[in-house]
Amino acid sequence: MNIFSGILNGLGEIWAHKLRSFLTMLCVMLGVVSMVVITGFVEGMFTSWSRNLSERGGLEKVSTGNTEPPARQEAIAKLSKGLTLGDALQLKRDLPPGFVVSPEYEVRTTLFRRGKRDWVRLQGVTSSILAINRYEVDRGRFFTDLELRDSANVVVLGTWVAERLFGRTENPVGQFIDINGQPFKVVGVLKHYELMFREWNTLRWKNDVAFIPITTGINKVGRNEKLAWINVQVDDVDRLNETVDTITNILATRHNGIFDFKVSTSEGELASFAESRKNSVFFAGIIGAVTLIVSAIGIANLMLASINERVREIGIRKAIGATGRNIFGQFVVEAVALSLCGGLLGMAVSIGAIEGLRAIVPAENAPVLSTSAFVVGFVFSVVAGVLAGIYPALQASKLDPITALRYE
Amino acid sequence: MEILRFDNVCKRYPMGDGVVNALVDASFTINEGDFVAILGPSGSGKSTLMHLLGFLDSPTEGGVYFENRRLEDISGTQRARIRAEKIGFVFQAFNLLPRMSVFGNAKLPLAYHSNPPPDADERVRKALALVGMDHRANHKPGELSGGQRQRVAIARALVNEPRIILADEPTGNLDSKTAATILELFEELNRQGRTIVLVTHDPKVAERTKRQIHVLDGRIARET
Ligand SMILES: Nc1ncnc2c1ncn2[C@@H]1O[C@H](COP(=O)(O)OP(=O)(O)OP(=O)(O)O)[C@@H](O)[C@H]1O
Ligand SMILES: [Mg+2]
Repeated sequence: MNIFSGILNGLGEIWAHKLRSFLTMLCVMLGVVSMVVITGFVEGMFTSWSRNLSERGGLEKVSTGNTEPPARQEAIAKLSKGLTLGDALQLKRDLPPGFVVSPEYEVRTTLFRRGKRDWVRLQGVTSSILAINRYEVDRGRFFTDLELRDSANVVVLGTWVAERLFGRTENPVGQFIDINGQPFKVVGVLKHYELMFREWNTLRWKNDVAFIPITTGINKVGRNEKLAWINVQVDDVDRLNETVDTITNILATRHNGIFDFKVSTSEGELASFAESRKNSVFFAGIIGAVTLIVSAIGIANLMLASINERVREIGIRKAIGATGRNIFGQFVVEAVALSLCGGLLGMAVSIGAIEGLRAIVPAENAPVLSTSAFVVGFVFSVVAGVLAGIYPALQASKLDPITALRYE
Repeated sequence: MEILRFDNVCKRYPMGDGVVNALVDASFTINEGDFVAILGPSGSGKSTLMHLLGFLDSPTEGGVYFENRRLEDISGTQRARIRAEKIGFVFQAFNLLPRMSVFGNAKLPLAYHSNPPPDADERVRKALALVGMDHRANHKPGELSGGQRQRVAIARALVNEPRIILADEPTGNLDSKTAATILELFEELNRQGRTIVLVTHDPKVAERTKRQIHVLDGRIARET
């Protein structure tokens, strides 16, 4: 008996026992769905996390921020002014030439424009921020080095800030807005950033910015000269640790030994994420495997029931010339056809389930449709079908034709 | 030429404390071209004998030889091949597959043939036409009368053009006219050189054959 007619025959059997077949397929289907959805969650977490990491500067970024000095230094804390533009210039001088240094100054203030207002985190920066934090100008331009030196009143807006002040249609470039009672010229608007749409956009913060030259920020807008961050981009991830040490040394000297700053990298975050990802994949695997075992047992059970019901058929086939192998093949093909149908059904349902979950689950943790999850779920279901089909098929192939024929 | 030989074959079934002697010391030979009737009352062991002839069953004692080979020397797979290619079975209880069409049922032995003939469908139609069932090819066995089912079972036995046909009460459910047609068909097949073993309890049917083996309580009473 050839494979093709075997499959046709198997499908016929499946159709002849609709309810039983449906229940079997349900087992496989649930196995596949749970596999795909669980892996989808894990993958989704990983994708959004790694995308966010790279949009924040990736692994090459070393961040230095202000912190409370340790308790033992409390008395002498006044000896340091915190991070300053001078620190950044010193770093730029002392670090290797391929490194980018980006000082960031921050003022929380309100932007005004013809009766419209917007409360933002206004950042005083240099053009280095483009390279380190991965920003691109979409319309207009970024401010020039000349404007930086002259503390010019120019501003570059993120798309959301621009939209809130100018609406969707008006072009902000070349227009003026009001910051702290001073007119600022909008010279550019940044690109719009989006990872997944609408309120799920995990990159929304990148659109909610306004940049002015750092000199303007310190001299004209803010009340002190303490920087919020000094970010450094190394040219090679291997030099990360070495750079952390260098920065710490330089700053410790400049701050008179007061440790009122903290140097950090994304490496720790990456390691802890890799760890938790490993765990999630492991647990997802266990849950998936359990579901698949359950569905395999379901298939085996239903196949055995079907064999009991078909003792006579098996006997007739054998009496007429079927070998044990023919019978074995017939039942395995049936099991595979069943689990294959269940697997396909499971894939369809998985797509629906993931789409549905994306609507309810918060964006950070939304599952994604990953091809690998599909392949794994599908292959596993078919394997479960085959494995579950083997024992019953073996039972069937060993049936004695005479007992089967005399079976009433 | 000898096809099948029984050498002091016994078949016993354990039954509670004792045993049922379904067949005792049966010895006979079936040669190429034979047309044999196995005759005996109900329960005398005819079907048991038939199953042994088609090696669906193995004897408790004694030797069964097919084409001069001991049954024990023929592997399970080879036995299946022989059944598929050289033996045509007509079972007492028809034994058609209920979910398959008449056509599918009649075609079944060809499915297990080691090299199925290219004109398989044509052969099936011819076999069905021979028993007058070609007009019901697409029906399910459940939609047929007992006699019609029997004729489909006969068509199934003919389709692989077997060397030997083993038929258990092939006319048991048929009216005398159809029965006569079937018997004529068997006679014709025998004239063409096919060996036929026909089980019956009806002496009138047995008369049509060339040779009769009388079975009584599991023993071969006499041969004529
Ligand atoms: N599996 C079995 N276990 C016990 N006894 C059996 C078994 N199979 C057959 N027998 C017995 O063997 C004897 C012969 O049975 P068999 O079916 O060969 O009779 P038969 O001649 O074909 O009868 P009929 O004309 O009614 O078909 C019977 O007494 C029957 O009860
Ligand atoms: Mg009988």
